[in-house]
Amino acid sequence: MKSIQMKKLWKMISAGLAGVLAAGMIAGCGGGGDTAKGGDAKVLKVGVTNFADTLEPTQNFFGWVVMRYGLGECLTKFDEKMNVQPWLAEKWEVSDDKLTWTFKIRDNVKFSNGDALTADIVKASIERAFQKNSRAATFFEYDEIRAEGQNLVIRTKKPLPGMPGFLADPLFIIVDTAAENGRDFSKEGPICTGPYEVESFVKERAVMKKNPNYWDGEVPYEKVEIPSIDDPNTRAMSLQSGDVDVAVNIAAGDIDLFKGNNKFHIDEISSLRTVLARLNQAPGRILSDPKVRAALICGCDRETYNNVLLKGTFIPGKAPVPPSLDYGFDQLKDPNAYNPERAAKLLDEAGWKDTDGDGIREKDGKKLQLDFVVYNSRAELPLYAEAAQSDLKKLGFDIKINTVDYNLVDGMGIKGEYDLLISNITTANTGDPEVFLRWYWKTNVNGDNPQNGSGYSNAKFDETMEKLSVEFDKDKRRALIIELQQILLDDGAALFFGYPQTNIVNSVSVAGVKMLPSDYYWITKDIKPAK
Amino acid sequence: MEKKMEFIRQHRLFTFYTVLVLLIVLVALFAPYLTPQDPMEGNMKNVLQTPSSEHLLGTDKLGRDTLSRIIAGTQVSLFMTICLVVLLAVVGLLVGIASGYFGGKVEMVLMRFADMMLAFPGVVLAIAIAGILGGSVVNTILALLVVGWAKYARLVRSLVIKLRHNDFILAAQVNGTRTRDILWRHVLPNILPMVVITGAMDIGTMMMEIAGLSFLGFGAQPPTPEWGLMLNEGRQYIQTAPWLMIYPGLAIFIVVAIFNLWGDSLRDVLDPRQE
Repeated sequence: MKSIQMKKLWKMISAGLAGVLAAGMIAGCGGGGDTAKGGDAKVLKVGVTNFADTLEPTQNFFGWVVMRYGLGECLTKFDEKMNVQPWLAEKWEVSDDKLTWTFKIRDNVKFSNGDALTADIVKASIERAFQKNSRAATFFEYDEIRAEGQNLVIRTKKPLPGMPGFLADPLFIIVDTAAENGRDFSKEGPICTGPYEVESFVKERAVMKKNPNYWDGEVPYEKVEIPSIDDPNTRAMSLQSGDVDVAVNIAAGDIDLFKGNNKFHIDEISSLRTVLARLNQAPGRILSDPKVRAALICGCDRETYNNVLLKGTFIPGKAPVPPSLDYGFDQLKDPNAYNPERAAKLLDEAGWKDTDGDGIREKDGKKLQLDFVVYNSRAELPLYAEAAQSDLKKLGFDIKINTVDYNLVDGMGIKGEYDLLISNITTANTGDPEVFLRWYWKTNVNGDNPQNGSGYSNAKFDETMEKLSVEFDKDKRRALIIELQQILLDDGAALFFGYPQTNIVNSVSVAGVKMLPSDYYWITKDIKPAK
Repeated sequence: MEKKMEFIRQHRLFTFYTVLVLLIVLVALFAPYLTPQDPMEGNMKNVLQTPSSEHLLGTDKLGRDTLSRIIAGTQVSLFMTICLVVLLAVVGLLVGIASGYFGGKVEMVLMRFADMMLAFPGVVLAIAIAGILGGSVVNTILALLVVGWAKYARLVRSLVIKLRHNDFILAAQVNGTRTRDILWRHVLPNILPMVVITGAMDIGTMMMEIAGLSFLGFGAQPPTPEWGLMLNEGRQYIQTAPWLMIYPGLAIFIVVAIFNLWGDSLRDVLDPRQE
């Protein structure tokens, strides 16, 4: 009997200790804010989110990571206003028939292994992208690519006004194809022209080292360590504790910790991204009824989600293209602005009524139940989903949130395995929204436009899209893009939640950290130790 | 009455813990009437409010009252845990009695299965199963059931084997009692106390495992007010709104501690070997 009482005593003591420990941990986390260490002048540490399993630039969207890590470069790049600027190409021109583009490749560029960059290698590299990833053909199709001295000549099948912007997409990162014989790019990383080269890479942690042959000035750091910290909260804490010098995308819940703190610097801009829920409107789906879609959209109080729940770190959504890009955001009319009374009326009209009094509407014995696919590596996505779920519940929708791993989302989107699917998408990866609008809403005939897995199809939209794809005049392009957006809004094609401000936060021991609207350029040669 | 008082006097601690357990059960049963505000619906204009007289434990990211959610969570957590433990005991009893009493090939097959399950690290396997099935309350219980039954089956089997060759069983067999009646009248009553004790002592652990799966996103899905899920939601605001983690954490801590202590004292009361 005695031993049992002793045991009990021990149990009590250990329980008490566990409590004290937990309290200590919480207190410890709170105190972390003031301990930021000084940065190392030789090693830069950057906390990022990473979705890439390998550094093969043609695999999925992994090229983005290759560019973000300061490894790969393209022929062109975007500046802070999304104008196309020279990068590995110093200039370009298009022939009078608008079909032949000539890019002059810089003479002084070397790959990290010392090989000189020639137009031949650029040609081989672009052809390699076409060969390995079908997404390349959704940008442009060519009759011929040839090298003439240091000039790269591309002859396209039809006039393509966006050509220089297409080549800025990280899919077209220039790699040293000659080096591929003795090297597995996906395991050891590609040979590129950026300021850093791969020392080691696993998904969770990359280490880059100085590229000794860099062409554009002195590389400031010997080494860049890039831990992948997908959890936004942990990322913020790593920055506070000095484990990293720079962190990308600090979440709304944490940004106040860095604002007004003189140990950190925040660079925040309106991004080109849009957070939207794709609505699966394929025949047979509940959302194939335009009235139900309209009810769904106007039942969501997007002003409150963005201004209150996300503390204004997002701009309330309305149209496909965010207001940071000048494509008529203010003149577009959203027929489905927040109006719960109208939403209820629309559902009544569509025949959805709550007959059994459980708060959920039915029609023909079927519940108004929708599957909402969400991933949570971006902090705002589950928040939007739950807020919408809560608002729509009041209207008689039963929204089932299905949290899945990010790697599954792309496939589910393509196959249409959802009613709603949330995404945070960049709208102008080629400089303007043409590709974005085409990918997600141009009619998908037998998988020729795979990203549109929602079943959306509108002949007027396809026709206007066709016009846009060959239009060179800037003003006319703008008018067409506005027209396209209005069609989507009138059709209730998707639910546009909001537009993120994106940020990069750095400790003041580091200088030159900048977030550009196009989020391909995180680690650049301009990031230096602060003096 | 006299006897009851005597029992209470002899088992003071047990009585005390039982009262606490009953309190928790009452909170769970009457949760819908006890919540000061609607745990599912909040005012989105009032998010992340610090604890105040209006919201004693503050509000969460959608402006829902944290206290109400914790109270409602008692129901969810307790319901899931009790379901799980009862299922574990039932499956364990069926498998254990079958293999213990009949032996032979039945035992071989069932016990090798049990060995297989025991060879895996439990929580990891549960995560894998819940991950494949997809997150939901039912799937969490299923996942933990698949992982946990083997322990109960083994326990019951060893108890049954010990009993099987006792004289009273043999006597019943000689008298021609039907197998069903032997199992029901003679075997079950003799092993039930041990199973009940094991189950009671497991309640706390199971509650933790359920909360753990929910925390990882494999259990209850939003907007269910489940403690593990609430912890996960609060995690994003650990520095700016710590009450979102502290109070659900405290709720788990208190309830699990009470059930563990109660399980211990129940063993002291029921287990004849301790006398």
